[in-house]
Amino acid sequence: MDIRIQGVSRRFLAHGKVIPALDGVSLDIPARSIFTLLGPSGCGKTTLLRCIVGLDAPDEGEIRIGGEVVFSQAQGIFVPPEKRGLGMVFQTYAIWPHMSVFQNVAYPLEVRGLSRDEIRKRVGRVLEFVQLSGFESRPATRLSGGQQQRVALARALVAEPRVILFDEPLSNLDAKLREETRKELRAFLTRLQITAVYVTHDRTEALSLSDRIAVMKDGRVLEVGTPREVYFHCGSRFVADFIGRANLIAGRIRGRDKDLALVDSEIGPLRCAAREGLSPGAAVTVCLRPENLRLLPAAGQGELNRLRGRIETLLFVGEAWEGEISVGAKRLLVQLPAASELREGNEIDLGFVPREAVLLAP
Amino acid sequence: MRKSFLSPGTGENRRPLTFGLLVLVGGLTVCPVVLLLLGSLTEGLGAFGRLTLAKYRAAYADPGFAAILYNTFVFTVGSATVCTALAFFLAYLNTRTNLPGKVLFRILSVVPMMIPHILFCVSWVLLLNPSNGLLNLLLREALGLSASPFNIYTLPGMILVEALLDLPIAYLVLAPALSAFDATLEESSHVCGASRWHTFFRVTLPVLRPAVLAAFILVIVRSLASFAVPSVIGIPGRIYVLASHIYRLVATGFSPDYGQAAAVGTSALAASIVLVVLYRRLTASSERFVTVSGRGYRPAIIELKRAKIPLLAVVGLLCFVWIVLPVLVLGYVSLLPYSMIPGEKAFALMSLKNWRLVLADPISRLSLRNSLLLGIGGAVLGMVLSFFVSWVIVRVRSTAAGILESLSFLSFSFPGIVIGVGFLWFFVLTPLYGTLWALLIGYIATYLPYGIRPLTSALVQIHSHLEESSRVCGAGPLTTLRRIVFPLLVPGIVSGWILMATMFVRELSLSVVLSRPGTEVLAVQILRFSEDGLWGRLAALGIVMILISTALVVIAGLFGRRSLRAFGLEAS
Amino acid sequence: MKALASILSCLLLSSAAFAADPALVEKARAEKKAAFYANITAVEPILESFKAATGVVAEYTRLSTSKFVSTVLTEHQAGKLSADVLQAPLPILELLQEKGVLADYRPAALAAYPEWTRRDGRIFTFGIEAVALIYNRELVKASDVPRRYEDLADPKWKDKIVMADPSSHATTISWLVALKEKVFAEEASWRRFLQGLAANRPMFVASFGPTPAPVESGEKWIGISMPKYIVTKAPAPLDWARVEQPLFGTPRAMALAAAAPRPHAARLFAEYWLSREAMMILAERVGEYVLHPGIFPPIAGMEKARVEAIRELPDEEIRRWGAEFKKIFAAP
Repeated sequence: MDIRIQGVSRRFLAHGKVIPALDGVSLDIPARSIFTLLGPSGCGKTTLLRCIVGLDAPDEGEIRIGGEVVFSQAQGIFVPPEKRGLGMVFQTYAIWPHMSVFQNVAYPLEVRGLSRDEIRKRVGRVLEFVQLSGFESRPATRLSGGQQQRVALARALVAEPRVILFDEPLSNLDAKLREETRKELRAFLTRLQITAVYVTHDRTEALSLSDRIAVMKDGRVLEVGTPREVYFHCGSRFVADFIGRANLIAGRIRGRDKDLALVDSEIGPLRCAAREGLSPGAAVTVCLRPENLRLLPAAGQGELNRLRGRIETLLFVGEAWEGEISVGAKRLLVQLPAASELREGNEIDLGFVPREAVLLAP
Repeated sequence: MRKSFLSPGTGENRRPLTFGLLVLVGGLTVCPVVLLLLGSLTEGLGAFGRLTLAKYRAAYADPGFAAILYNTFVFTVGSATVCTALAFFLAYLNTRTNLPGKVLFRILSVVPMMIPHILFCVSWVLLLNPSNGLLNLLLREALGLSASPFNIYTLPGMILVEALLDLPIAYLVLAPALSAFDATLEESSHVCGASRWHTFFRVTLPVLRPAVLAAFILVIVRSLASFAVPSVIGIPGRIYVLASHIYRLVATGFSPDYGQAAAVGTSALAASIVLVVLYRRLTASSERFVTVSGRGYRPAIIELKRAKIPLLAVVGLLCFVWIVLPVLVLGYVSLLPYSMIPGEKAFALMSLKNWRLVLADPISRLSLRNSLLLGIGGAVLGMVLSFFVSWVIVRVRSTAAGILESLSFLSFSFPGIVIGVGFLWFFVLTPLYGTLWALLIGYIATYLPYGIRPLTSALVQIHSHLEESSRVCGAGPLTTLRRIVFPLLVPGIVSGWILMATMFVRELSLSVVLSRPGTEVLAVQILRFSEDGLWGRLAALGIVMILISTALVVIAGLFGRRSLRAFGLEAS
Repeated sequence: MKALASILSCLLLSSAAFAADPALVEKARAEKKAAFYANITAVEPILESFKAATGVVAEYTRLSTSKFVSTVLTEHQAGKLSADVLQAPLPILELLQEKGVLADYRPAALAAYPEWTRRDGRIFTFGIEAVALIYNRELVKASDVPRRYEDLADPKWKDKIVMADPSSHATTISWLVALKEKVFAEEASWRRFLQGLAANRPMFVASFGPTPAPVESGEKWIGISMPKYIVTKAPAPLDWARVEQPLFGTPRAMALAAAAPRPHAARLFAEYWLSREAMMILAERVGEYVLHPGIFPPIAGMEKARVEAIRELPDEEIRRWGAEFKKIFAAP
């Protein structure tokens, strides 16, 4: 079921001042996909999620779920959360401590007035699905973090909602469990063929889990796209920096060579993927991912941009070297093959494919 | 369906509920207070004539007034400090440690709530007066002193007794908060290498700030309005506080000017409103105090190990001297024809005459029935109202919710002598005058904070996600309150109910003006005995009152235990 | 002697059985009850015997002095005064009379009372709330018992006196003023007496109610209190000092409400209350000093005492004296 958000704004009053939490957000969330709202804390992603689910109401705009208007300021429509037929997993899981696992999961069915047999059948099925069979009578307070997370998921899924929403559900798990759960979750959701809206501030989570990502900042959506689009072809310095590690190099367009732009940058002349609307003389930022910088033999192919720099810091992180090299006055982040013999202070040659350098607004 | 555009932080239409409660609580508490303020600003007493500030001038130009304010400040802040500290100590040991005999201590800590306050004060006078107070006589004999070591008729004496009288209020506000406290918060501090004391001051106390402040403020407000201690202990010591000063104003002459008394009372009212506002400020970011989040919490029990016996001794001694001893004195007085020092003669004169007279008296019996009815029924209705009001105060947190919280304190903070007259002026305009309903409504309106305080301090600890997830799961607001909020609030509900029920059983300030033939209540009967100086009968009826209240407390406790067990929340 | 007296009084009681106009009784019975707002305490025996004698129920609402005027006036102004008969200290009833609360009625039973008790036809006085020095006879030697009020200023009573707060307790204030007007020849000697009393540092309590307790328990030795406690608190070791001067007290008065919902029951109750039968109960059981000739409370020596009514002080004067006494008693 798809979700259409149009011109949604939400303002809060704090200490007598109006703070816009959402500022004219419009989004189309396609059906049966995992859609992530990504952004730093305070960017409005959770507020947007709460507006979708009905725990908060926008001050302006319209929200439709599967064609049905659930909120419209113009028409004066507000459908309360219990009537929206959604499922949600909270950051705190919100497992009711006074109920057992079974009671927690059965709750959405009970309030819908299903028969006991039906409830037992469906709870059993969903618990099996989240691999919690046998835990039915366990008090909810005596579960591990991962188990609680799965109870929360089961509870959100049991009533077969049209859409399931996640509010940073993995932030309370430790690193290893988080990675496993992420994989599991992706598998679950893909298997269920359900629309999922997922809120997180963790870029790795967003990139690995989502079909599409919307990056938010200060109550606005900056960019929407597939993880690869957002990662490689981001349109702003903020997104480039937020979505992954990036070298941002200031420069000015000198000219154009077919589909490549020639840039005079603070580390010398570079060739980058051209972009519409940039005429010679325009100030730009070149975004260069550390993993796109490779080690080059002393003499190399002319296709590549070539840089020479000095290794300033170097860390061995197992699968790679991570470090900084100085090119002139600029320091660049690099990620180099673990097998290379490198040492701090070495002078090395680096290169990158022009298409992998993205031009951004200054 | 309309939605809210004004209330920030709320996702749906909570305004009808908030405003409905505003009207209800406002109607209950504002009317008598407005009538009193009118009385204070006009020529007064029913015939409100032209406006004048003369009464305020007369009240506040009194040269002795500064001294009275100073005494009042020391008395209320002193009582609140002693009381909150003591209550915290007892509540902590009772809820968080494996101290033996907890059930006993739990009941003892609420006993002062059940004793008619006049009686409790008289007991202490018999124990600690400088001429022949029992404890003083004992100590003089034992230590060979020429003068009595203690004098109850002093500010410290007043503070001691008031702190004890208000102990149950503080205890019942603190205990639920402590029992809902997530021990992992403390554990993580221990893991970080902090000592137990450090943890206590840097983690436990700050997290419990809403409850501690709630208890502190409630006791301040209560001791501001309290009359028993200022009259029985303060007047003989010639230490006047606001309440006894007001009494002096009212008592001098045959046609007392309640308008002027109300003018003085407004300073107590102003102080209370400032305190409530301050409280809201200090606990503004309520998320910081959430300890029950649905991530699973467990109230862990601390092993006392070596400290067990010494602590048991300390708590036992405290409870004995401060609570059991005065009750024993009551029992003793109830058997005597008149007050006398224990001795051969006293034992020879002992009889059950007072008990027979009290139990055979039809009015005493009627008042017993009425008080029970008002205590049980009133507390149930009062808690229902408090439940909704607390929910709005904690969850909505809009300006309207702030006003609601202040309103709930309005008639509570007016000194008892005066607010009674306010309710008289109010109810006489309604058809409820002279009925039990007037008493019931007046009680609930005045003592609403007893229900609201324990509930709000318990509610701020419960993460709003627990409610919100219920809504998303398809449950409406009422189902959510019933199935999610109510079970989690059981400890607070039990506390509030006990506070209200025991208060209603011994309520005096309103009863004395609103009770009429047929609607007599226990406290009025007790006041009659006290006005006639019949301490023996007073003590006997007082003990009956204690027994009734104890029964109520035990029933409430059992109900709480059963529900907690049913909800699987019982601390193991 | 005492036993004989009580047997005698019982005989008298039965012989003095209450007889009222049958027509009035009839109408009163139709009204079923009489509502009685009163300030006097422990009068239930009278209410019971009233019911036994007439078949009409008397419903007793007790109002303390400080609440009496405000409660009655509030109800009166709202048209909800349910009282038929009102009883209070004389000054209170006079205040209510000014506001038009009282009915014009003079009970026939008043004929037996002294002339001065029949005021102007609305209020009638039946007793005096006498103030006396009450002491603990186990602690105070017979030779030390005060013979005159002046003796209270003797330093031997230092820290041994209890009294109601003279800055606020209306009856105590009026009593001290009565001493000035009726006992002391000149104001200077009265003031010396007050200073001496203040120098003895009496313990203050809120009203008369709490005065006997410290005396009976021995916390204090003597109190400015009321003799009726000797009856109500028996067998406490209390006695009263038979001073050579008169005892003073506020008159206890009664009146009918102008808008009495049950006017006949009200009249019947007033007649009964003033009857010899009722007054005997009041004296015997409650220890009240009543004005029906020949009836005295069972307190030794009371029949010989001279008991005088205190002049009614207006509230303003009471407050003025209260402020004055506050200064005098704060001095030491």
